[in-house]
Amino acid sequence: MTTPRRAALATWLGGVIVHALLVVALVAVGVFLIVRLVPGDPAQMVLGLKARPEQIADMHHRLGLDQPLWRQFASFLGTLVTTGDTGESIAYHVSSRALVMQRMPVSLWLIGCSAALVVAISLPLAMTAALHKGGWIDQLVRVVPTVTLGMPEFWVGLVLILVFAVTLKVFPVGGTQPGIDGMLYSMALPSLVIALAQTPFIVRSLRTRILDVLGADFVTTLRAAGLPERAIRRHVLRNSLLPALQLYGMKVSFLMGGTLVVEQVFGLKGVGTLLFSAITARDFPLIQAVAMYCALGVVAVSVAVEIAGGLIDHRVRGRAAASRGGAR
Amino acid sequence: MRKQFKAIRAAVAAVAAAAAALSLAACSQSGGRTTDGTVSGARTTFTYARAASVTSMNLWTEITSNNAFAIDKVFEPLVSFDTHGRIIDWLAKSHTISKDGLTYTFTLRDGLKFSDGTDVTAADAVFSIERHQAEKDAALPLTADIASVTAPDEHTVEIRLNSAYTPLLAELANFSNGIVPKDFGGKSESAFFEHPVGTGPFVVSKWDKSGDLTFTKNEHYWQKGKPGISKLVYKTVEDGTQAVNQLKTGEVDGIESPALENLDELENGADTKVETTGSWVTHTFFLNTADEHLSDVHVRRALAYALDRGDVTKAVSFGHAVTAKTVLPKGIEYSTQDSIKPVDDDLAKAKKELAQSKYPDGFEAKILLASGNNAYAQAAQLLQSAAKKIGVTLDIDSVDIATFRSRFKAYDYQIMINSAQADYPDADSIISFQADPDGFSKSYWTSYSNPEVTKELREAQVTPDGDARADLYAKIQQTLADDVPYIPLYSPQIVKAVRKDVTGLEVLPNDSVRFQDVKLG
Repeated sequence: MTTPRRAALATWLGGVIVHALLVVALVAVGVFLIVRLVPGDPAQMVLGLKARPEQIADMHHRLGLDQPLWRQFASFLGTLVTTGDTGESIAYHVSSRALVMQRMPVSLWLIGCSAALVVAISLPLAMTAALHKGGWIDQLVRVVPTVTLGMPEFWVGLVLILVFAVTLKVFPVGGTQPGIDGMLYSMALPSLVIALAQTPFIVRSLRTRILDVLGADFVTTLRAAGLPERAIRRHVLRNSLLPALQLYGMKVSFLMGGTLVVEQVFGLKGVGTLLFSAITARDFPLIQAVAMYCALGVVAVSVAVEIAGGLIDHRVRGRAAASRGGAR
Repeated sequence: MRKQFKAIRAAVAAVAAAAAALSLAACSQSGGRTTDGTVSGARTTFTYARAASVTSMNLWTEITSNNAFAIDKVFEPLVSFDTHGRIIDWLAKSHTISKDGLTYTFTLRDGLKFSDGTDVTAADAVFSIERHQAEKDAALPLTADIASVTAPDEHTVEIRLNSAYTPLLAELANFSNGIVPKDFGGKSESAFFEHPVGTGPFVVSKWDKSGDLTFTKNEHYWQKGKPGISKLVYKTVEDGTQAVNQLKTGEVDGIESPALENLDELENGADTKVETTGSWVTHTFFLNTADEHLSDVHVRRALAYALDRGDVTKAVSFGHAVTAKTVLPKGIEYSTQDSIKPVDDDLAKAKKELAQSKYPDGFEAKILLASGNNAYAQAAQLLQSAAKKIGVTLDIDSVDIATFRSRFKAYDYQIMINSAQADYPDADSIISFQADPDGFSKSYWTSYSNPEVTKELREAQVTPDGDARADLYAKIQQTLADDVPYIPLYSPQIVKAVRKDVTGLEVLPNDSVRFQDVKLG
């Protein structure tokens, strides 16, 4: 690689990372302000109905909630920078970061299994549909997955639980089981719910892209050169992957939000259910921790997708650098 | 390019392998229950689904049920109550109250031990009560004017009061008056409550503050041969429907708070049943008497007359509640549920009352309620339609629970629906919280004040149990019914859903349960 090309790559990468850090910083400030501006008081929630005013005032003092907002923010920032934590959870009396880290594996398992299922379902469907464009298979592939789009995730989850767990008893109703096989077993239904919701978008996008590529000049050339159809399909698939990957990256971010409902319905002790109870209890440090770490996760996925996109297709890198005013 | 295609092919193969592993996992695990210790045959673990995790075992500073009903498995008080709410001796084998009501004497049972095997003495009880009194963050502080707590001998505890206070015995039955080892057995207070030692039937063995808690049997428990189970798991299952399904498939053995709408299917289920008892709870409309419109007693009476509480009970309770006619639930002694004359269900009288008020042509107001509670939402709609019949327009303001709490505690509401609950089996637990304008709750945030009621409730606190006390509470209840600072709606049963093979579960009116006699299969 020549020096100017290296410099261009470094600028591009630097831009991507600065952009990502900016997003995380904005999330930190935004969440800090939002949780304090909406009504609700953590002391009232933790101390219960019969807490006396002096007990509530005492707790406000201990938590620093009686301080002006700017001082609370300074303290929050100080803790974050020095410890990498947002502070002790008000409801659980343990480190917020430790809680998020403890819950993270379940959510990652869920996201991972869902992502794998999305690929496993959409890749063959899109390819088949594109190769039979206009045929009944194509119609079927385009229409059937959209049925799940109209169904809310909690409802699909409940139906799957009733059929496969309560009636047929082939999967657990909820929760997680130990071991890798136990985890796979526990994640089957919840990841299917998420996959069913995501697949229609990916299938459609991938199918359209494959069709575009199928009509491209290089395919005609390959055909004219007498390359076997199987070999041509490989080229088509590779050229179609980029937009699908970008869409997929975006969907993984959405997926992290979507896990909240699914974790709740399936009783999974992941980050989603933690956030849910943290919001209910107005557990400020914990809400901030979940938001921060999820933002980091989403940003990391976006960066990874952008980098992967750049590696697959150099044009992306060039466009991104140009749009940031960087060297081409 | 060939390499890249290989990579794609490998990825697809990996996904296929994962799918295969998933189905294999399903095959290998579908044969039996894999939850900890619940393999069929020798089941000695009871798994209990609860909506919230246990976050603290400090018996003095905690009040919410997620913690309280774990604390009461580890710490036990001198006296307790039975399934009907009657006071019974517990760690004390007997107790006496002097005629002037100033001296309470408790004699400890013989052979009492803490779960670490050390003996329980009167000094431990003295330490516990004094420590509770000194706790500035006490959630359920002892309200009696206590002069001294002493241990005349190893087995005797004596509490002397400066002035008589009848509810003391019932207050002592609260979980917050459990006995801990003197000086926390040499540990610091915070270390002690991380690994608590008590006299209760269970010992904390594994505790995830945001997840599950596992208790094991206390080998030194004073009730010989009990508990019958070796492990008790408090499994946190936030979603109610998920908990019901886990019960149906046997992934849990019981549910702490099944929704009323699920009771019918659980009661008549193939593998499930419900256990019930009367409660100390009354779900109630609270009327802010400091509000411009609701300060008029005729307005409040008009609303109460317009509403048919029987309809509310029918609509929301699925046959598991009693329509409340008075502020005290039937399970609390001196309740006049069967004799009171309630202001209820009479449209003609409702219209007459409104005509007598400052707002004969009606007015507009809002009902504040916490979202996510279907029963409350339905009750609010029924009040809304009842009020419409007399020309009062009520809007429903549904907010999340944290906002709800902040708002009503700041008196920022007109009408709200909430639950009123006794912490211990004495009428004063409810009356002083709901009718004393000088208490911090200012008559349950209604700002209601009636000097006559205030005088009577103070008198009832020092009057020994008997007819005179009963008369006072009868008068108070009738005045409250007539003044309508609140409209009591219904008292739900305390219901626990369990697997059919569960026996011996003792359901208590404070919503807790005893597991000592539980047997599985």
